[in-house]
Amino acid sequence: MSNVKIGDSLKRFEDQRFLTGRGRYVDDINLDGQTRAVVVRSPYAHATIRSIDTAAALAMEGVLLVVTRDDWQREGFKPMPTKSAVKTNADGTPLKEPPRHALAIDRVRYVGEPVALVVAETLSQAQAAAEAVEVDYDELPAVVDPVQALAPGAPQLWDGIPNNLCIDFELGDKAGTDKAFAEADHVVSLDILNNRVTAVPIETRGCVAAHDAGSDRYTLWNASQNVHANRDTFAEVLNIAKEQLDHIAPDVGGGFGAKNSGYPEPVLCLYAARRLGRPVKWINSRSESFLSDTHGRGQTSRVELALTRDGRFLALRTSTVGGIGAYAWTVGPFTPTGGSARTQGGPYHFPAMHYRGRAVFINTAPMDPYRGAGRPEATFQTERIVEYAARTLGFDPVELRRKNLMPPEMLPHKTPMGLDVDSGDFPLLFEETLKMADKADLAALRAKAEGAGRKFGFAIAPYLECTGGGPKEHAGVVFNKDGSIELAVGTSSTGMGHETALAQILAANLGVDVDRIKFRQADTTATPLGGGHGGSRGMEVGGNAVKQAADEIVELAKPVAARLLQSETEEVEFADGQFQAGASSVSMNDVIEASLDSDKLPDGMEPGCLDHSSVFERGVISIPNGVHAAAVEVDPETGVVGFLGYWVMDDFGKIINPMLADGQVMGGVAQGIGQALLEDIVYDPDTGQLVTGSLMDYGLPHADEIPNMEIGYYEGAPTKKNPLGVKGAGEAGCVGACPAAVNAVLDALKDYGVTHIDMPLTPMKVWKAIRAGGKHDPHGLLGDAA
Amino acid sequence: MPEISLTVNGEQITKSVEGRTLLVEFIRETLKLTGTHIGCDTSQCGACTVHLNGKAVKSCTMLAVQADGAEITTIEGLAPDGRLNPMQQAFKDHHGLQCGFCTPGMIMRAMALVAENPEPTETEVRHGLEGNICRCTGYQNIVAAVLDGAKALRS
Ligand code: FES
Ligand code: FES
Repeated sequence: MSNVKIGDSLKRFEDQRFLTGRGRYVDDINLDGQTRAVVVRSPYAHATIRSIDTAAALAMEGVLLVVTRDDWQREGFKPMPTKSAVKTNADGTPLKEPPRHALAIDRVRYVGEPVALVVAETLSQAQAAAEAVEVDYDELPAVVDPVQALAPGAPQLWDGIPNNLCIDFELGDKAGTDKAFAEADHVVSLDILNNRVTAVPIETRGCVAAHDAGSDRYTLWNASQNVHANRDTFAEVLNIAKEQLDHIAPDVGGGFGAKNSGYPEPVLCLYAARRLGRPVKWINSRSESFLSDTHGRGQTSRVELALTRDGRFLALRTSTVGGIGAYAWTVGPFTPTGGSARTQGGPYHFPAMHYRGRAVFINTAPMDPYRGAGRPEATFQTERIVEYAARTLGFDPVELRRKNLMPPEMLPHKTPMGLDVDSGDFPLLFEETLKMADKADLAALRAKAEGAGRKFGFAIAPYLECTGGGPKEHAGVVFNKDGSIELAVGTSSTGMGHETALAQILAANLGVDVDRIKFRQADTTATPLGGGHGGSRGMEVGGNAVKQAADEIVELAKPVAARLLQSETEEVEFADGQFQAGASSVSMNDVIEASLDSDKLPDGMEPGCLDHSSVFERGVISIPNGVHAAAVEVDPETGVVGFLGYWVMDDFGKIINPMLADGQVMGGVAQGIGQALLEDIVYDPDTGQLVTGSLMDYGLPHADEIPNMEIGYYEGAPTKKNPLGVKGAGEAGCVGACPAAVNAVLDALKDYGVTHIDMPLTPMKVWKAIRAGGKHDPHGLLGDAA
Repeated sequence: MPEISLTVNGEQITKSVEGRTLLVEFIRETLKLTGTHIGCDTSQCGACTVHLNGKAVKSCTMLAVQADGAEITTIEGLAPDGRLNPMQQAFKDHHGLQCGFCTPGMIMRAMALVAENPEPTETEVRHGLEGNICRCTGYQNIVAAVLDGAKALRS
């Protein structure tokens, strides 16, 4: 397939193996002599470990090893570090980072925390032996709600960390914001819960670890979204050089952030593999995943909006308390602080803003990135308070938003949160989205719903996003004699289709046949560095690395082309796969072929001279933005919500592959709708036991619960922040969907006086809210803790 | 250990299995057909869906010994020579898969659905896929693929 261009909906190369059952996920890997590991997990939310007796387990058939805290302490293994980008309290002191060991040492602090690793010949032997490990606990009081954890008298997770407070962060102009509130005509204030959820990739986490005693080298195949960063963490824990550990992610069955972190289990397996001299395989069960995967959101916020009499926004003030679990996990402290601060206020013009975010230790599984990590929370806070203001002050919600969007003339603009908004046309996207919805004839949809005894609701939700994740990416290109071109990138596709999109960028920029490209990713043996997955960085950082490598290869190829053209290097121009000098031209294909043949090369150049690696470094993060709109119907008798339409306009800058971008938006919207209506991680408030510990209790959306979406792109304002002009597409769907869905449902309930329901808007909650009418305490969640 | 005989992807197989071995384990571990996936432990996700005597079943919900004498088709059996069948092709054309982990189960379920109801409506497809969870695609493209795959299989 030649002449592939940026912007083509090129079909995916990875599909062939996935469609025929020939994908290679970690559970499909089986090595000679392989053993099986099972983790012994804490049954208590908070307890002191008195003793661990492994004798009975070790005596069982097939059992090879039981790893406990004794091994960890004897070996002097290090705790796993947090890599939070925000590490400083508002008063300048550092955040609290208590030691996070791969195995509990003296206390367990959440149900599911690893206490031991049992390794046996077979899985069933390991499972049986795990039951036989005797751990003697002294149970302690637990706290699972972050607001309660801050209160006086709450159970304390850590000695020396008063009030369970990890970090107390502030951003923005406090004095200016307070002044604007004091002088405003209108002020609205509402406590909002962004409920705790988890990513649930359909492939659970798992790994296969091996160690070679002769070379003292480790190999880890791991369902990881971040092999380079995780390798560094594991090497640090095990006191080995990172060069001793090859970390490879095979095909990964979804991640959405839940596979970003350096988790305990792989490092336990690496150690066990060394101890046994045999490979160790560990696959998490789904139920264990709910206990041990990182969670997302989990924020309780007071959001306040100051307006003029005619509805101009003057200031936004947010105070958030985020429950980050029992430890400062990889980036856990960042999400409720800097992560949620940056995009506060969305695409609206706010003269003043102030954000306070507190990250609090609680007796739950850890908090780490989940698709959007902070931006969905910020967008939800902003859009909920705007909707609430419209409802309680009597503004039309569409008009109120329209009036306050930043006009394009205002850009570039630095928001009071320090976000560098360079490009976009927010009013245009807003109107385009309304037009899309209007085409579906909202009046007719309303009439139909009402005719059937249902309530109709509509909401529009603009969002402002920002990218994140590792700022550097490596792209390496090797040209082979057989005509294939190897492309190795340090990004990590867990379904997004980089194997296609990044090949597309290379092919389009070199003007070569895209079928020739053989793609490798997420493998520390293939690229010396890599930023993996996260922050919608795949095209923004990875794509630009590939483009940069391609551009540099063109320069390297010019002398080769000049010789073929019997011209001078300086005379040679390159466009559309052709090198041109005067009237004659030669294709990139021919130049590549010549570059592998010493007879055709200029003096001093060797075959393979076009093989090239490049490292791209992002300067400033990009600002994807867009608008979501939803139409719903609510059955007042049952509280059941159904979608009548869903529309999205996105500005992702330049779109590399619209088909793949659509897929990202659709999947993101489905996850947002899932949280809005169904999904909820629930811990028992007294015992700290996980109530939603399986797919029977945790409501993932099914095919009949997600609407068809109509999606449009605006490419009229590409960013100049990177050469491809891309802004990032991976998380935006998830950012806009919660407010669109929730506000649409609340619009449907306005006749009942219902102004707020916290997510998820399950039929029961909707039904109860209808029965309660307008009775709702706007400060019922945070009280004085805000 | 009991011995079972069954046909898998057209091949006659006789193996001894432990009584407690699940069909999905037998398929993945014993037969090394790793296209059938495991996504849960409560029979909810459908990643393990295969055809048993022409019907879609979740292979994690039954024991291997219960499949004695049965005819089983797994995802590997749909395109033995690597050429995608019309349903597989429709999934590719409509971008009905991302990470690919739910995909074999989705396709096996979709094939059974279309065999029972060759001309399904969108609503019927969405209901028909209720037992299969996809976390990546938001279902829209899967539904489009199944409708299109059904059409291609009809012609
Ligand atoms: S593995 Fe989930 S339904 Fe069988
Ligand atoms: S494609 Fe990933 S779960 Fe469906």
